Amino acid sequence: MSNEIWVLAEHREGKVKKIAFELLSAGIEFSKKTGQEVAALLLGSGLEEAAKSLTPFADKIYVMDAPSFTPYTSDAYLASIASLIKEHQPSILLGGATSTGKDLFPRLAMHLQTGYAPDCTGLTMGEDGKLIARRPLFGGKVFAEMAFSEARPRMATVRNNAFLVNESPGKSAKIVPVSSQIDPSLLKKKVTGFEKAAGAKLDITEADIVVAAGRGIKAPENFKMIEDLAEVLNGSVGTTRATVDEGWRDLKDQIGKSGKNISAKLYMAFGISGAIHHILGIGTCKTVVAVDTDPNALIFNYSDYGIAGDLFQIVPALTEELKKVFSTE
Amino acid sequence: MEIYVFVKQVPDPEAIVKVKSDSELEIENKYFTSFFDEIAIEAGLKLKEKTGGKVTVLTVDNRRVDALRRGISMGADDAVQIADPALEGADQFALARTLSTYLKDKPFDLILTGRQAMDDDAGIVGPAVAECLGIPHIHSIIGLEVDDQKKEAKVLREVENGKESLTCPLPALFTCQKGLNAPRIPLVMNVMKAMKAQIKKVDLASLGLSLSDVSPYIKIEKYVPPPKRPPVKMIKEDFPENVKTLVKLLREEAKVI
Repeated sequence: MSNEIWVLAEHREGKVKKIAFELLSAGIEFSKKTGQEVAALLLGSGLEEAAKSLTPFADKIYVMDAPSFTPYTSDAYLASIASLIKEHQPSILLGGATSTGKDLFPRLAMHLQTGYAPDCTGLTMGEDGKLIARRPLFGGKVFAEMAFSEARPRMATVRNNAFLVNESPGKSAKIVPVSSQIDPSLLKKKVTGFEKAAGAKLDITEADIVVAAGRGIKAPENFKMIEDLAEVLNGSVGTTRATVDEGWRDLKDQIGKSGKNISAKLYMAFGISGAIHHILGIGTCKTVVAVDTDPNALIFNYSDYGIAGDLFQIVPALTEELKKVFSTE
Repeated sequence: MEIYVFVKQVPDPEAIVKVKSDSELEIENKYFTSFFDEIAIEAGLKLKEKTGGKVTVLTVDNRRVDALRRGISMGADDAVQIADPALEGADQFALARTLSTYLKDKPFDLILTGRQAMDDDAGIVGPAVAECLGIPHIHSIIGLEVDDQKKEAKVLREVENGKESLTCPLPALFTCQKGLNAPRIPLVMNVMKAMKAQIKKVDLASLGLSLSDVSPYIKIEKYVPPPKRPPVKMIKEDFPENVKTLVKLLREEAKVI
C-alpha cells in the first residue's frame, strides 16, 4: 500500500490546468503532517511540457501516454486509472470539479467502492491522516463537512481557488511511465466533434476574474462595455439567468443555481439585483464588487464593495481608470 | 423505447435552509421537482413521442412522491417509489445501488436524470448507476438525438471551452443540463389526474437488498453555516472619484488586481 496522495492533473492543449497545481499544493501541505508522498496523474499524449510544469509540485508523476486518452472519455480514463489505483492503493485521489471530474469521479468511486465528495470548497487533513471535505449543499445555503469510510482512496473534486498555488513547492518529481493497454471493447463512446466556444477566454468556472452584467445592461449590444472591462482585467464575462432566458447571452456564461457556480478571486456584478438563484452561484468568490442603481439591491448584502450608481457611467470609467493604472506599472 | 427517468423532489431555490444543529437542518416546507430532473423527464417524453414506448419515473424517497406526480402530469406512463426506513440518511452510492438493483432485470434503452439534484448538488447517482449496470454514461448533456434502429445516441455535452459531440451505444445513462429543452407545463386536467395516479411502491426486501448493501461510503459529520462576508463597504463618493476609490481598494485592500 503506497499511502500516496494523488491528483489527476487535467490539461488542455498541453497546458496543465491551474486547479491541478492548487490541489498538488494542498497535497504538499497535507504531506507535511502525514509524511505521505504526493503524485500527479497525467493521461494523454505528448505530455513532456505538462510533465515538466508539474515536476516541482510532486514526488512522482504517473504518466500514461496513449492516443485513446485524447479527447477525454470516461471509458478510457476509468479503466486505466482504476487499474493503477488497484496496483498502488493510494490513500487519496483529488481532481478539479470540472466537466471531466464530475463525469469521471462518481463512476470511478462506485467502481472502486469507495467514498467520493463532489464539488468541495475545502479539504482538511488531521494529524491522524483523517481527511475531511467541506462542500456546499442547497446551492451554498449550508455547508457539510464530510467524512469517508475506510475504503481507499478517499476521493474528492474541488472547486477553483480553494487552495493557493504554492510559490516554492520544492519537489522534483520522478517520472513513472505507466503502460496502458486499453481493451478496445471498453471504448464505447466516441467523440465525433468539438465546437470551440467563441473567444479565447477561460470558462467562468476557471477564470480568476469574472465580470458580469444582468438585466440592468438593458440590451445585448451593451455587453460590449462589459467585455472591454473584462479584457483589461484579463477576466471572463458572466451573466444572469434573465439575460440567458432573453437570448442575450450564451447559457455557458450563466452564473447561479441553474447555471454555474463560480469561485473567482474577483467577481464584479453590474446591474444585477441579486436574486437568490444568482447569489448561490457566487458564494465562494473571494472578493465581490456590486454596482447597481438601486441602493437597496439585495446584491449589496453579498458584496465586499458596492457602488449605488449607474453602470453606463461607471463601467467605461472603470475600464479607463484600470488601463491608466496598469500602464504605469 | 423503454425510458426510465430518476427524479427527486427538493427544496425550492427560494426555500430557507438553515443549520439547526451539527446533525440537523431546518428546511422551509417549499418543495419543487428538481429543475434538471424536469429537463430529463421532458427529454424522455420527446423521445417517446417520436419512437413510441414508455417513460417511467423513479424516485428514492421515503416521504415525497410529488416529483413522480409531476412526471405523470407531464406525460410519464408509470411511476415507482423506492422507500425503506433503511434508506433514511443513505448516501448517494447506496441510492445508486438501490436504483440499479431495481433496473437490472428490466429491459431499458435509456436512463435519464438531472445533472445533479438541487439539494445535495452531488451528481453522483446517475454515473454511479451506470457503473453498477455496466452501461456507458455521459454527464451534463445539452443535445440528444436517438437512432432507435441502430440503438445509438448522438449527444452534445458542454465542456469548459466549448461543446463536444459524442456517439454512444444504447442502453446508456445521460444526465441532463439546462439548454437540452424547455420542460412542458402540464395541463391542469393532467395535474388532477396525476394526483390520483397509482404509484408502485418498492422496498429493499423486495429488491433482495439488506442493510449492509446500503452502508454509506461518505457521511456528513457536521453541518456548518456558509462562510459570512464582512459587511459591504459602500463607496459613497461622487462619480468619478468612486471609480478611483474602487480601483484603489481592489489593489491595496483586497489585493485581487
